[in-house]
Amino acid sequence: MSPDRPGGADVAERLADRLAPLRASFDLSFMEPPRPAGDSGAHLLAIRSGGRPYALWVADTAGLFTDRPVTALPGPLPALLGVATFRGAVVPVYELAAVLGHPTGGVPRWLVLVAGTPALALAFDALDGHLRLPPEAVVRYGEDTSSHQWMNGMARLPGRTLGVVDLAAVRASIHTMTAHLEGSRRR
Amino acid sequence: MPQDPLRYFRIEARELVEQLSQGILDLELEAADPDIVGRLLRAAHTFKGAARVVGQNALAEQAHAVEDLLMPYRQSTERVPRETVAPLLALADEMSAAVAALAPAPAADPPAPVAGPPAGTPAPTTVRVQPASAGPPAGPVAGDPASGPAGPPRDPAPAAAPAGTLPAQAAGFAAVRADAQDVDELLDVVGEAHAQFAPLRRQVHAVERTRRSAKLLADRLRARAGQTGDEPPTRTAQSGHATAARLAGELATLARHLTDSVEYLERELDEVRRRAEHLRLVPASGMFTSLRRAARGVADAEGKRVVFEARGGDLRLDPQVLTLVGSAMLHVVSNAVSHGIEPPDARTAAGKRPEGHVEVHAERRGRHGAFICRDDGRGLDLTALRAAAARTGWHPSGDADQDLQELVPLLMRGGISTAPQVTAVSGRGIGMDVLRDISHQLGGEVSIQTAPGGGTTVELRVPLTVVSLRGLNVRAAGVLATVPLDAVRGCLRLDSEETARAAGAGALPYEGRLLPYLPLADLLPGDDRAEPARTAVAIILAAGAETVAVGADELLGTTALVARPLPELTPADAVVDGVTVDVEGIPRIVLDPHALVARAARDTPEPDAGHGGDAAERATILVIDDSLTTRMLERSILESAGYRVDVAASGEEGLAKATAGDYSLFLVDIDMPGIDGFTFTARTRAEPDLSHVPVILVSSRTSAEDRRRGAEAGASGYMAKSEFNQGELLERIRKLVDA
Repeated sequence: MSPDRPGGADVAERLADRLAPLRASFDLSFMEPPRPAGDSGAHLLAIRSGGRPYALWVADTAGLFTDRPVTALPGPLPALLGVATFRGAVVPVYELAAVLGHPTGGVPRWLVLVAGTPALALAFDALDGHLRLPPEAVVRYGEDTSSHQWMNGMARLPGRTLGVVDLAAVRASIHTMTAHLEGSRRR
Repeated sequence: MPQDPLRYFRIEARELVEQLSQGILDLELEAADPDIVGRLLRAAHTFKGAARVVGQNALAEQAHAVEDLLMPYRQSTERVPRETVAPLLALADEMSAAVAALAPAPAADPPAPVAGPPAGTPAPTTVRVQPASAGPPAGPVAGDPASGPAGPPRDPAPAAAPAGTLPAQAAGFAAVRADAQDVDELLDVVGEAHAQFAPLRRQVHAVERTRRSAKLLADRLRARAGQTGDEPPTRTAQSGHATAARLAGELATLARHLTDSVEYLERELDEVRRRAEHLRLVPASGMFTSLRRAARGVADAEGKRVVFEARGGDLRLDPQVLTLVGSAMLHVVSNAVSHGIEPPDARTAAGKRPEGHVEVHAERRGRHGAFICRDDGRGLDLTALRAAAARTGWHPSGDADQDLQELVPLLMRGGISTAPQVTAVSGRGIGMDVLRDISHQLGGEVSIQTAPGGGTTVELRVPLTVVSLRGLNVRAAGVLATVPLDAVRGCLRLDSEETARAAGAGALPYEGRLLPYLPLADLLPGDDRAEPARTAVAIILAAGAETVAVGADELLGTTALVARPLPELTPADAVVDGVTVDVEGIPRIVLDPHALVARAARDTPEPDAGHGGDAAERATILVIDDSLTTRMLERSILESAGYRVDVAASGEEGLAKATAGDYSLFLVDIDMPGIDGFTFTARTRAEPDLSHVPVILVSSRTSAEDRRRGAEAGASGYMAKSEFNQGELLERIRKLVDA
């Protein structure tokens, strides 16, 4: 790229033209107020479980995995698919559709670790994507909304609406079921 | 062996002094609470024992003084007065300062000579301690020769164990306690690394597929080059074929190297995991040295002669469990020598050898560790026990055996001690409190057997969270599972005819006996599509006094493994003892031989065993509850018991279904919006078509009034959710449905 060569001035000019907006953009970035670091809006996972679409709050999850081998165990709870290892720990895996009381079929591919302790994973059929919605597109139900036992909100997307699964309620339900069984066994 | 002999005592002493200081402050803050006093007494007692073991007599005396101050309030509802709390705090401060002042020994100091095995050598599984030559001569010992309650105790244990001889046990406890977390983290990382092998193996398969495609391409190009009739193949065709053939060759080499590398890495990683898991558990022999010291110390203090033996030191267990079990057994052994073993002349007069015998034995029983202390002393002093118990309001039955059965639990609950005097080593019954507390803390059990003049056996049985064992890997119905090898007595290969016969009869002839036969495929959640094996293997398992044959499709060899309990929220059949994570990072079922034996005994068909299996298959139960959780729970319990289940979410829906369907029983919640359980019951009783169908009410209401209302409405059963018992529910249902 020597200016002595024929056409060199054109090349330099074209380069300057391309650089100018880049430079302006770079300078502008220092003039704008800092943007929130990716936490604006509601972060949800769009999933399908038992043939039905749902959304999960990303904040209620502790990890998303696919195709982990799940070792089935003989036991009293059909919703308990078995156990799988996550970071060396053995964790129970429940089928989300079964916990929600819906018919199940096939082997769910996706596993989501539910936030909180003890460790708990839920299995579902498919992940449709990660949603980042404006706050006004998500409705959170009040605590007294007893008619939505497993949902704690609703996400409005273009052309459809997803129920947002209340993972805390799902966890609580699993705790209740297992506590009853453990209690019965201890007696 | 550490060169700083007090290193681990300092750690434990700091923790105990902290507990003491905190607890003493709590005495001032709260109303009278015997629990706090009890905790403080136990901490002081443990401190005293630990201090004595490492020759810190002054500290032991201070702990003894703490006990003296607290004893009057042990079971008192009276609040500990400020004038007692102040000296307690002062003592705790002194102890804290004294512990802080315990300077580490210079690193270059060689370990002091010890009476037992040299420091640094592995603890032997059998340790014999000769009678202490420095001890007082055999002769009558009245009361306690060492000290009175107020006087400073003569401290013969440290005299026999020179300062600078920290028991290897104490080092073992604390050292591994500190390292366990590191090992756990290492295991987590290894586990996660293992999980990454699955995608790696898929990539190896992808390379292999690509190689096959390249070879196919090469073959086709060669065929096409040969189809040009009489014309020789063009250079282009030849070149294309050669390139494809070269590509296939290179891919074959790549796939081979990749496979070798992956397998090598996997083997190495598995070795890391195996070694780390081995590090994670520590041998029970770690506690034997301090037990030996304790036996010797107490014997010297009381002018007795004792031979101490320990067995089963190769049992490996979680260090935290070992720490607690070690503390408990320290008290048990001290008690055995102090209360059990007689003075030499008394033993001689009773026709025994002058030296007493105390044996500690550790063994694994399934997922439990059993720690047994057996002495050949005088046995529990029932007369003294009766007298001590009588002071607490207990009344003798007149029958010696029955008295013993009642007194042992009383002894375990604390509050009575048979020692004639409170001494520096025993006599306050706190040793039993510690044993009870630790047993409770570990979810264990304690049993005591005693024979007058024949000795006492104390057994502490605790569940082991993590167990290192050798397992026999088997496959049944496509599922891999592991049976602990120590329960396996043998294996038999069965042909298809023998397999069918054993399965049909539920029994298998073995060495002249007919053993119950249990096919694992019936228990494990196998793939229904799995082809039944043409041949099978019967594994002969022994647990307790029973032996059974368990059927599997094939044996996959033995392996050393670490079995863990199932995680929380994972209710499983009792035959699942836990899981082990295999080389690929996949959890595998570890079976419980005891549960298999129990299941085989239960499932063995008996001519009159009308368990209602057919009835259960036919019966349909309607579950009515507005709580989805309860509906699901009850449904899963009933379905797993073989019933068909229908559900309704309200009384109204329940009535509609009841009228339309054919049910054998209604399982009904009481509190539902709209028609409640009482109303449902009353209405169905009024319907001629439904009145014969029994109703069981399940409710969180527990009052007698509610039960009465249920009965008046016509319910056949009532079950409180707070007392919900799966077995009881199924039993009631079975009776009602069968009727």
